[in-house]
Order: sequence, then structure tokens, then C-alpha cells
Amino acid sequence: MTREEIYDKLNEVFQDVFDDEDITVNDSTVASDVDGWDSLEHINLIVAVERCFGIKFTMGETTGLKNVGEMVDRIIAHLS
Amino acid sequence: MSLVSSLFLVFVAAVLLLYYVLPKNLRLWVVIAASLAFAGFLGFYTLLFVLVSAVLCYVGGLLSGPSKSNALRNAATIITVVINIALLCCIKYYNVLGLAAERLNLLFGASENTNTFFLYAVPVGMSFYVLQTTGYILDCRWEKIVPEKNFFKVLLFSTYFPQLMSGPMNTYANLSAEFEKAKEVKFSFERISNGAVRVAWGFFKKLVIADRAAMTVNQIFGDHQTFTGWYVPLGVVFFAIQLYCDFSGCMEVVIGVSHMLGIELPENFNCPFFSKTVKEYWRRWHITLGGWLRDYLMYPILKSEPLIKTGDWAKAKFGKKNGKKVPTYIALLILWFAVGYWHGGLWNYVIGSGILHFIYIVLGMIFEPLSKKIRPKIGADKLYFRIFQSVRTFILMLTGFVFFRSASVMDAVDMYAAIFRRGAALNWANFSSSGMNLPNLIVLIAGVLILAAVDAYKYVPSEDDRPKSMIAFLRGKGIVILWAAFMFLTVATLVFGMYGLGYDSGSFIYARI
Repeated sequence: MTREEIYDKLNEVFQDVFDDEDITVNDSTVASDVDGWDSLEHINLIVAVERCFGIKFTMGETTGLKNVGEMVDRIIAHLS
Repeated sequence: MSLVSSLFLVFVAAVLLLYYVLPKNLRLWVVIAASLAFAGFLGFYTLLFVLVSAVLCYVGGLLSGPSKSNALRNAATIITVVINIALLCCIKYYNVLGLAAERLNLLFGASENTNTFFLYAVPVGMSFYVLQTTGYILDCRWEKIVPEKNFFKVLLFSTYFPQLMSGPMNTYANLSAEFEKAKEVKFSFERISNGAVRVAWGFFKKLVIADRAAMTVNQIFGDHQTFTGWYVPLGVVFFAIQLYCDFSGCMEVVIGVSHMLGIELPENFNCPFFSKTVKEYWRRWHITLGGWLRDYLMYPILKSEPLIKTGDWAKAKFGKKNGKKVPTYIALLILWFAVGYWHGGLWNYVIGSGILHFIYIVLGMIFEPLSKKIRPKIGADKLYFRIFQSVRTFILMLTGFVFFRSASVMDAVDMYAAIFRRGAALNWANFSSSGMNLPNLIVLIAGVLILAAVDAYKYVPSEDDRPKSMIAFLRGKGIVILWAAFMFLTVATLVFGMYGLGYDSGSFIYARI
């Protein structure tokens, strides 16, 4: 799966979790850029991403991701 | 050894001298020796406790690391974390166990309590320590860090003396990076003076404000048969001032001393009484505990299979929007129970520092959509509404403080009932009978006004941003201004501080936790 394809799916997950069809994310997107992305919603997002890609983030990844770019890096690492 | 004592200042001065005079490669050994000496000052059992716990942390971390088999890693993590939690429970319940032991002794015919184990053997103030070492083991298991092979680095991390008793809690990744940086830190008067001003500010907060407010708090909470009606809210407001200045004063001393060593610790307070909501308050009050519980308790619970399945069931039952909140509420309930329990093993802590806040936060979440609709219509961007939000949040906090300060749940309920009882008349003679005479009240009000001005300067609207640095501001005005501030705080503390014969400087509220 290419990075672009991952972003296509990831945008759908973000739009679904945060109930906003206008959300598009990129490498530098952080929690404060998305309305409603707080510490509680973070886990809903992580679980939704895991289900979408059929992967399982470690707790270290769950709490340590700095931005969406890092999330995509970890998705690629898990898929490969 | 209390953090607000002349002995501690002499101790810090000696550590700083050795730290900067001896070769740089000996620096961290100086800190290890100082940390063990500090633990020794706290008592033999405390020293023994931190040493045994450091070994447990070291071995648990190594066995939980990625080079071992999964079965061994899981077993090592579970065993060491369970031992740590058991230690925490023992510490939390030492009062309760002590009471039970006393009753048992008396039941079996002893004329007085002969079981003094719980009085002397259980180290006080180790709750921060236990959580920090537990975090290290979990970080190794979750591969956030590589397990440390050098035992002395783990010993240093777990026993670092400024934060040993009261936090702020830290992760190994952060603190070990600070220790590495500290090896190269050069001595500078700027660093020492910045740290000294923070320490002086901490002493001022504790000795001038907190311990002065305590006079009225002790009087009203100690006798709410006499001090009823308006005395009750007055006593709770004084307790809020006492608790904030007590704990944040302690943090000023801890962070200031560590800064002098070139080891930066995270902030634990960020102007909490300016918070607009209860949720925001907890991101500004005891920040490192909130971060610890979020990363090591709430996230694992929310990511657990049973909670995910519960979420799926709830979404099918109540719809996607409402259903996805059900696991969050369950995790929050567990989290807030843990927060309350951590503050003390009794139900008044569980309610006052836990369950009550859970209720406020969940109600806030439930009414958030309605609130979003109403806010534009009532001018929510206006200053008056902003002030209303902070006052409302402060009052909600006070309702919890009644439980936190009371001796038991029934005592807290009686405190609430006292609001509606007739007792001592609200007049100056009764109010000042605790020793809170006019000079004391003037000093207290002046101290609180200085505190409010400092917090108003430091305040930044986003709770995720670091507060502004008052010391950087003073230094920007010139070194003379900074030293004038230091001299003012020192002289004010010496003249107006609550210390001397009969004063127990060891009684930081959070150091007892």
C-alpha cells in the first residue's frame, strides 16, 4: 500500500471518528489541528485506524505519536 | 528532612558545592549519593524501601525488555507491577491498617496499642516514587525505551532526591536525557540565581501563605459544631488557598533545586484556578499525575478487548455518537476512582478527589453539545462569562475539597450540614480566635494578591502550553530586579513565615500522600 493510498483511507477514518467530512490530514497534522482530537478521542481514533488497516499499535506507539506523519510511518511498518 | 527547612537548604548547598567543584564525570555519583543520603534522612525504612524498589525496577525492566521471550516478559511485567501496586496499597492503607492493628490489640486485651510497626516501618510520601518506577517497567514492556543495563542509572532515576517525595512524576526517557545533559552543564550564577528565586517563592508560598491559611482551616474543619453557616464556605476557600500554595510551593522548591543542578523537571501546575472547566482544571493541577494515569491506566483500559467490545455493543444499542462514549465513561470511572484512591486510602479521598470529579466531567461531556449551541446566544466570548466559568469551576472544586480535608465521609457530610446549622456568630472575635488576627489576615491577603498577580502573568489560555516564566520576566527587567524579588521573598518569609518553636515544617500535605 502506498503512502497516498494510506492517506486516502486515513482521511475517511478521521472524518468518521470526528464526524466532519471536511477533514483532510497530512504529515504535519497534530491533535490541536483537529477539532475534538483530545486525549479521550485519541483512543477512539487509534482503535478505528487499527481496524481499518488490520494492525495493532503498541502502547508505546499509542502514546508516543507526534503527528499524523509518524502514524503513517508506523502503519507502513506494521503492514510490511 | 522537610523541603522547607534550613537543614534542606544546607544539604542542597553542600550538594551544589560538590556537584560543581568535583570533575564532571563524578557529578551523577554526587547526585546518587545525595539521593541515598536524603532517603536516609527520611528514615532507615525509607532508604531500605527505595533500594529494594530500585532493584525491583531494574530487574523488572530488564526482564520486560524486547530481547526476552513474550511469556517471560509478560510474567516479569505482571509480577513487578503487581508488587509495586501492592506496595502502593500498603502505603495508602498504612493508616487504615495501623488503626485496625490498634483495634485488634485492644480487642485481645492489650491496655494500649503495642503494635507500632505501621507507625515507623511504612515510608511516607512514596506514592510518587512507586508510580514513577511502575512507569519505567511498563515503558520497557511497551518498548517505549530500551531497558537500562546500568543499575546505577536506574537507581538515580528512581531516587533522584528533589522529586523523591512529592514528584513531579517523570518518565525515564525524559529524566535520563536530563541527566545526560547535566554532565556538561557549566556552573553559572544565572542558573543558580534563577533556581534560588524559585526556591524562595516556594518557601514564601508554603510558610507565608499556606501555613497561615491553615490556622483558620484547622479551626473551622476541627469544630464545625461551633463554626457553622458562612464559616464553612470560608473555611473551604481558605483550604483551597492552603492546598494550592502548599503543593505548588513544594513544586517550586523541587523544580528550583533541580534547575540549579541543570536538570529540568516538568511543571506540575499551570494556574489551575483560572480554569474554565473541571476537565481543564485537571490539565492544570497536578499535571504529571494526570499524564501518568492517562498513559499507564486509561489508555490501556480503553484499548483492552473488553472495552472495545463494549463500545461496539453500545454503538449498536445507542447509536454511533452516544455509543462510543460508553467505554470512555467506564474508563473515566476507573481512572477517577484511582485518582481518589491514590490521594488516600479512605472513602473521603475517593469521593472528594475522584468520583465527584468523574461526575462533573461526564456531565460536562453530556451537556457539551447543548452548551455549544447556547454559548453564542449568551455572549460567551465576553469577559463576564469567562469570569463566571472560572468561578463556577472553582466552586465545583471546593465541593470536593470539603471531602478531601475532612476526616471521613460522615465528617464531610456533617460539614455540609453545618452550613444550615446555627452556631457561633459570624464576627471578628470568633473568626480571629484561631490566631488569625488582623496582622495575620493582612499578610495572608497580601500574599494571595501577589500569588494572583504572578499567576495572572503566567497564565496562557491553552492548557497545553507551558506557563510564562515569571523569572524570565524579572530577569528581563534587570538582574537588580531579580535579586530584589529574591530579597523580598526571603525577608518576607523570615519575618512573616509560620515557623519556629512548635511548628512542624515537615507537614507538606502532598508529601504525606
